[in-house]
Amino acid sequence: MFKKIATLLIVSIVIISCSGSSDGPSGTTDNFDREAMLSNLANNIIVPAFADFKTKIEGLKSSAETFSQTPDQTNLDALRQAWFNAYKTWQHVAMFEIGKAEELQFVYFFNIYPLTVADVETNIANGTYDLNHVNNHDAQGFPALDYLLYGIGANDTEILVKYTTDANAANYKKYITDIVAKMDEIIEAIVNDWNGAYKNSFITSSGNTATSSLNKFVNDYIFYYEKRLRANKFGIPAGNFSTNSLPEKVEAFYKQNISKELALEALTAVQNVFTGKAYNGSTTGESFKTYLENLGRNDLVTLITNQFNTAKAQINTLDNNFYQQINTDNNQMTMAYDELQKAVVLLKVDMLQAFNVSVDYVDADGD
Amino acid sequence: MKRIFLSMLAVSVLVFSSCSKDDTPTTGVTAPATYKFERAGSSTVSFSGQTTRILMAEELVSALKDPLKTTEALNGMFAHAEGVNDFPDADLNASSKNIHSKTAASKDYFSSNTTEANAIKAKFEAWITAQVDEVFPNWDVDAEVGVAGKIQEAGGGSTRYVNGKGLELNQAFAKSLIGGLMTDQILNNYLSVSVLDEASNVSDNDNDVLITDKNYTTMEHKWDEAYGYLYGAEVDATIPVLGADSFLNKYVNSVDSDDDFAGIANDIYEAFKLGRAAIVAKDYEVRDAQANIIREAVSKVIAIRAVYYLQTGKESLSTDKAAAFHDLSEGFGFIQSLRFTRSASTNQPHLPVAEIEAFLGVLMDGNGFWSVSADALDQISTRIASVYGFTVAEAAN
Repeated sequence: MFKKIATLLIVSIVIISCSGSSDGPSGTTDNFDREAMLSNLANNIIVPAFADFKTKIEGLKSSAETFSQTPDQTNLDALRQAWFNAYKTWQHVAMFEIGKAEELQFVYFFNIYPLTVADVETNIANGTYDLNHVNNHDAQGFPALDYLLYGIGANDTEILVKYTTDANAANYKKYITDIVAKMDEIIEAIVNDWNGAYKNSFITSSGNTATSSLNKFVNDYIFYYEKRLRANKFGIPAGNFSTNSLPEKVEAFYKQNISKELALEALTAVQNVFTGKAYNGSTTGESFKTYLENLGRNDLVTLITNQFNTAKAQINTLDNNFYQQINTDNNQMTMAYDELQKAVVLLKVDMLQAFNVSVDYVDADGD
Repeated sequence: MKRIFLSMLAVSVLVFSSCSKDDTPTTGVTAPATYKFERAGSSTVSFSGQTTRILMAEELVSALKDPLKTTEALNGMFAHAEGVNDFPDADLNASSKNIHSKTAASKDYFSSNTTEANAIKAKFEAWITAQVDEVFPNWDVDAEVGVAGKIQEAGGGSTRYVNGKGLELNQAFAKSLIGGLMTDQILNNYLSVSVLDEASNVSDNDNDVLITDKNYTTMEHKWDEAYGYLYGAEVDATIPVLGADSFLNKYVNSVDSDDDFAGIANDIYEAFKLGRAAIVAKDYEVRDAQANIIREAVSKVIAIRAVYYLQTGKESLSTDKAAAFHDLSEGFGFIQSLRFTRSASTNQPHLPVAEIEAFLGVLMDGNGFWSVSADALDQISTRIASVYGFTVAEAAN
């Protein structure tokens, strides 16, 4: 696995270095105000979304502490609600893996699933663990809370036993507060960075080079859509990359009936970034959409917009619980995947060509 | 009238070919004598993954005729996982490749059509299951209408093992795989612009940027992988002799042996060589023109064999059921394989997918091959032949 990532890195360096040399000094050949687009993205979407997410994580942290002090049904319900609120908001920031979020590889601390339950249980049994360790990426974040709040017992009574009379109750409670504290620490660092010098450097890095924030952002956006949304939420559990379907790999496997809501939230976030829609409101600004329009590619805007809507309509027909959907009629699930995939081509080939931006990641197609 | 039309065709072919001949010298791309390409004195050609899959398919197809095999064992050969002892051959067991993941899996046809891809894979899986559950238990039972079992060809000929509709599931599987694996991967994946030009492949090839630790560019390698699905089982793949496997390689040879289609094997080989040389010369127009030649020719091979088997099956239907069922079973698989053919003008199969499915439905209707009419076989044959550009008579002899 690591070897593979290393090879990928080397390949991407090669790609970056050669595209850098062929692009010339700035590489931009159109008159679109890329800086205005980055400014709208930063000021009206990214920063407000991260700020809201931070608020939600703080709410989660406070609920976790209350629950840890008094683990009863009321506080369990409150913690679950705070977890769900934060998980939904996460869907709006997950694609912004740039700047500090990229440096800290923030996704490792928030949403690697499926969870490895054995690692969680071992950590809790030991009472000591390093959440920064690579082994623990799939033992923390929202998926770990999903398990600890919904999957650790057959019903709420059994779940509460783990935090009250269980021999390891103290460690169970500590694990919840520790992983939430880690989430808080990461988001704090990211928000501070955006509120400090990073925002301006993000906005002004509007050239067309392999390392400019515009090129990185658009690549991150497509990568997120292709891998974390299309593949992780749909393709992998539906079995499109394996011999059989793997329904236990859905997001929020233990809560189950929110997998659709989380996926729709993620797709809405993707649509909002495409149209430049403000996080806290309905106004729109410069975006991929207006950039394409500036380039005379209204045709492509229509295709992408329609394809997102078609995908959304198909997702809306699915069961709230993707685990259930895959087990009862996986065709509906793969049809949603297929509609999502159609937009990958529009974004990754057509939109990037229009922007004259190179893809900075490669698919490992297994041959 | 027909003759005038044909001669007009001939003229237009001449015009087209003279255009492309004009193009060729200016770009300076010429095909080498054999499929041998080198950089700094060593070969740049590699397609071991394709060879592996052809060998896995050979093992699976012969295991489908071993009544002692279980569904689990056969599925293991179909969807092999690295390190599992699914095959008699240790090298295949050690391989990370498998057939299942590359069946109905081309980028152009199936990347945003996984629902149909899954349905096609499910067909292959269902043939395996039915072979084990219905045919294997009746290995020593005489086949009858609605009863799976054995049926011997006239004059002490081969014994065939069929399901209740007279279909040899092992043949359905093998011949469908020619389309679902080899043809689909060649025509709709590795020769596709979407794969050849993916990400930075063009600029890498233009600047001779090689894959880390390899002697080839990604684009060169993709083209070679297409080549490997056709010639990967050859002893010396630089100069294919054909007949090297039980799949596409074999049937390109069969069609080429028919005087009506003599030369088609060479056309395919030449196009592979010239297209590969064009990649080395960084001339992507010539490359894509060769891809289209290969698409049309391979598609035609599939269609010709479909018609050939329907016609030979029809001839013996009343006199020798076992011989007829054997031919029709192969024809069934080749019709399924039409799903993966590709017209260079539409970038889709020459026939609508629903019509191909309908053909299969006609063959399996009612009592299947026990009841199919000569007339129905002729209608399907005529339709396929006209769409793919040959006559039933040319294919049948």
